[in-house]
Amino acid sequence: MITIKELSDDNLFTAGHTACPGCGVAMSIRNAIRVLGKDTVIYVPASCAVVFGTTFPYGAWKVPFFHTAFENTGACLSGMQAAFEKKGKKVTAVGFAGDGGTYDIGLQSMSGAAERNDDVLYICLDNEAYMNTGIQRSGGTPFGAWTTTTPVGKVIQGNRRFKKNLGDIVAAHEIPYYATLSIGHPLDFIRKVEKAKNIRGFRFLHMFTPCIPGWKMDPAKTVEVTKRAVESGMWTLYEIENGEKRITHKPGKMKSVKDYLMMQGRFRHMSEEDIKKLQMWVCRKWNLHYKEKGAPEVCEIPQFEEHHAVTEEHREMHGP
Amino acid sequence: MAAQTLAEAAVNEGNYAVAFPFFGAERRGAPVLAFTRIDSKKIFSKTQVYAPDCVVVLDDSLLDTIDVVAGLKPQGMAIINSKEKPEDIDLGKIIKTATVNATSIALEILKAPITNTAILGAFAKATGIIRIESLEESIKEKFGEKLGAKVGERNALAARTAYERTITGKSRGVKKLEARKQWLPTHQEIPVGGALIEGKTDAGLIGPGSFIENKVSGWATYRPLRDRAKCTMCLLCWFYCPEGTIHRISDRGDLMTNYDYCKGCGVCANECPVDAIKMVRARA
Amino acid sequence: MKKVITGDHAVAIGAKLCRVEVVPAFPITPQTLIIEHIADFVNDGELDAKFLTMESEHSVMSAAAAASAAGARVFTATSSQGLAFMHEMLYATAPLRLPVVMANASRTLGGPPGIWCEYNDSMGARDSGWLQLYVEDNQEALDMVIQSFRIAEDKRVLLPVMPCLDGFVLTHTVEPVDVPEQAEVDSFLLPYEPDIILDPKRPAMIGTFMPSEYIMELRRQTAGAFESAKEVIQQINSEFAQKFGRDYGGLIDTYMMEDASTALITMGTVTSTAREVVDELRQKGEKVGIIKLRFFRPFPSYELKKAVSYINALGVFDRSISYHGGGPVYNEVRSSLFGMKIPVINHLAGIGGRDVTTKQIMKMFELTQKAANGEKVSDVYWHNTRGETV
Repeated sequence: MITIKELSDDNLFTAGHTACPGCGVAMSIRNAIRVLGKDTVIYVPASCAVVFGTTFPYGAWKVPFFHTAFENTGACLSGMQAAFEKKGKKVTAVGFAGDGGTYDIGLQSMSGAAERNDDVLYICLDNEAYMNTGIQRSGGTPFGAWTTTTPVGKVIQGNRRFKKNLGDIVAAHEIPYYATLSIGHPLDFIRKVEKAKNIRGFRFLHMFTPCIPGWKMDPAKTVEVTKRAVESGMWTLYEIENGEKRITHKPGKMKSVKDYLMMQGRFRHMSEEDIKKLQMWVCRKWNLHYKEKGAPEVCEIPQFEEHHAVTEEHREMHGP
Repeated sequence: MAAQTLAEAAVNEGNYAVAFPFFGAERRGAPVLAFTRIDSKKIFSKTQVYAPDCVVVLDDSLLDTIDVVAGLKPQGMAIINSKEKPEDIDLGKIIKTATVNATSIALEILKAPITNTAILGAFAKATGIIRIESLEESIKEKFGEKLGAKVGERNALAARTAYERTITGKSRGVKKLEARKQWLPTHQEIPVGGALIEGKTDAGLIGPGSFIENKVSGWATYRPLRDRAKCTMCLLCWFYCPEGTIHRISDRGDLMTNYDYCKGCGVCANECPVDAIKMVRARA
Repeated sequence: MKKVITGDHAVAIGAKLCRVEVVPAFPITPQTLIIEHIADFVNDGELDAKFLTMESEHSVMSAAAAASAAGARVFTATSSQGLAFMHEMLYATAPLRLPVVMANASRTLGGPPGIWCEYNDSMGARDSGWLQLYVEDNQEALDMVIQSFRIAEDKRVLLPVMPCLDGFVLTHTVEPVDVPEQAEVDSFLLPYEPDIILDPKRPAMIGTFMPSEYIMELRRQTAGAFESAKEVIQQINSEFAQKFGRDYGGLIDTYMMEDASTALITMGTVTSTAREVVDELRQKGEKVGIIKLRFFRPFPSYELKKAVSYINALGVFDRSISYHGGGPVYNEVRSSLFGMKIPVINHLAGIGGRDVTTKQIMKMFELTQKAANGEKVSDVYWHNTRGETV
């Protein structure tokens, strides 16, 4: 297994790209490609990553890059992989799609590639909304979150639906490998990318990638917020290999979801009632996931810690 | 936002105004361009502004790389967010110039380096095109509506403070800035289908990896300083840096930060397990 | 070797003879036979290609574009709603200069849904950057798949090509087809060798986000490739004729035009029927002829002008409506002939797959001749349409 120290120095995604400061997507892409190496061909559907990774005539990628549209990551990977196989080339075809491009508009295409078990690596960079178009709700947006299409109105506040369970949908295709990753857990991250690279068939890596403007948070907190997501159960780290699910990182005692929410302006407006609703959802997920019953007290007696409250500064910077 | 607020204030004074951004593709923090036209009668022109009466510069680090007054009319004016006095600003020609330290004002009042409302105060003072009171109203209305009355008032205060601290004078005209080179191929020269391999043009690299020539340090308000003595070489900062601006110097077992590519996000400082990294103001 | 086969079968054989390497596929009537035949070829070991059973036409064209960008020779087929569903990807494939060949079985694009021949499916894609051609019989269908790859992959063109064959009238009709020998096709169509592909040995960026400083030049470049295509099409037509003995005329074909005073512009299978009508009218001493519009993109303005220079009136057959009064072919023809004092009459017929009979074609000539004689006629006629006069 590769450790951080053993990671390659090759900058296959170079500096000088134009992602926002603290971008979770840039962070994840850079480290994924460090592990995947140069015999990789990249497909990126419509997303920030197209723009900040390549803007004609410039590009950050030093491996081949292809882009055409939004909803076709699965199909484009299948197509290029077919060509590589026909030509006898040993290349890893990798797609970096966002949550909108995977949960919503690209679900069909992803499902097709998964069901055919095409030998490609599909990476979903989940930042929980359509960020490239300016923060609109996707199927991956969590309950309560502000987006521009789930605004905090006088009558309805934030997103009223819970985050879609994409992991189960992908896993239901009975693919060789599905894993969730967090950039805040480097060793787990590296191990899963490495594993996915070496498995044949359709592999899916689901990366949790904070978005600074979309989540309305301090750019320095990208990594911290992913750690907190895992500690609270909002994000869970596991893998499903040939149908066998394995927890790869279990946090200690479950932390209140409010800790996580308070780091981000997109949740600032949430009422106690809504926070409780979300906490119930997280608790159910936690119990199902970790097969334990230690969590419900978090739901029953909300002991909210205040020390991570969104600062005045962030409100000024990012609004509600 | 500043361009729009200015237009609104002008309209509130009974004028006609249009404001629009140049829709660039870069992300938060990257240099952007916005235009405002003000007239006493309806404005029909839908083109960008090429010969402005006034240029407002929100980040004086741009002065090193861009000839911001290239199209400015001879009697025009430059308004610059800078701690310097107009006489100490070299714009390559001597023109009417106003300066204000909008970043300090923003940090002081808004607690964030967001200078677009403060600089409008300077605009009002320096040009007299708009009254500061009209600006304050527009700011309160525009920001208040979206972000709450308190935020609106603070932003209005930032504008007022800048109005009071603006210094007007004339710039120096010494340096010669060459226009930034850009590769502009003809339709015969552009690669078939726009497919690019690694290449070099008179204007620099193109194709895969060419973003390496895109220096983004101008985006940064803060930058990291690492204390070598404290550093344990755990490499977490190297791993997390979204820019790839921290390099391993393998033979010395050390790290080096290339500030050309640092956008000042602060992730490295936040994640350093031994607090060896501090964020400091990139430009005082 | 002579075979009695359907148009779809002929197209599939054409693709096989071209040794296509990747075939993403999705069924839609009346194209389905094409991909079924190709699946048979692959599974029987007659064709060494990657056959991908995609989950939609959008994904078909996505996979096609990606496989082409990765350097493979790509073929697929679609029709009607399927073409509409992949519309976005047509626009992605062409400007990236990916020489995919896709047969389109011309069919009504609903609603209301119908499965029979109409050109409103492909006409909607006329400005997507694909070359479009319309064939008259099964032999031409097969031959044009082979020529399409030559045209598409020519370095002066590098554009995707869409041979269109009339739904059911060709796709499901058997007629004798001379199937060329593999060796002959191999010597006519060499392996596809693109300059820049997705290959880690020489990394390329294909399909980057493109600001306004560049996109206009790229459009101009694509427009230039369409101009070059005209010459390439003629050249490849001649080469094909020499090798295989079948000359299709290139951009347009003409019949009995040498001394014609009235002509009808036709497309697809209506051309075939119209040939018999012309023979009949000629026996009566009427100087009529046909101009078969083979390529709709690039549009052969110059060739048309030349072909009609002696005639007194021109009829234009259209198998779809453009809602500006007439059909899209009529529109293009009139614009091409601007300045020439020839009356141009539009004949809309066969829409929704309604049979275009010899009687209707007679009527088209009759009305056009009236215009030639200086009689007052309408600009546009809806033939065999209840409530209309003809």
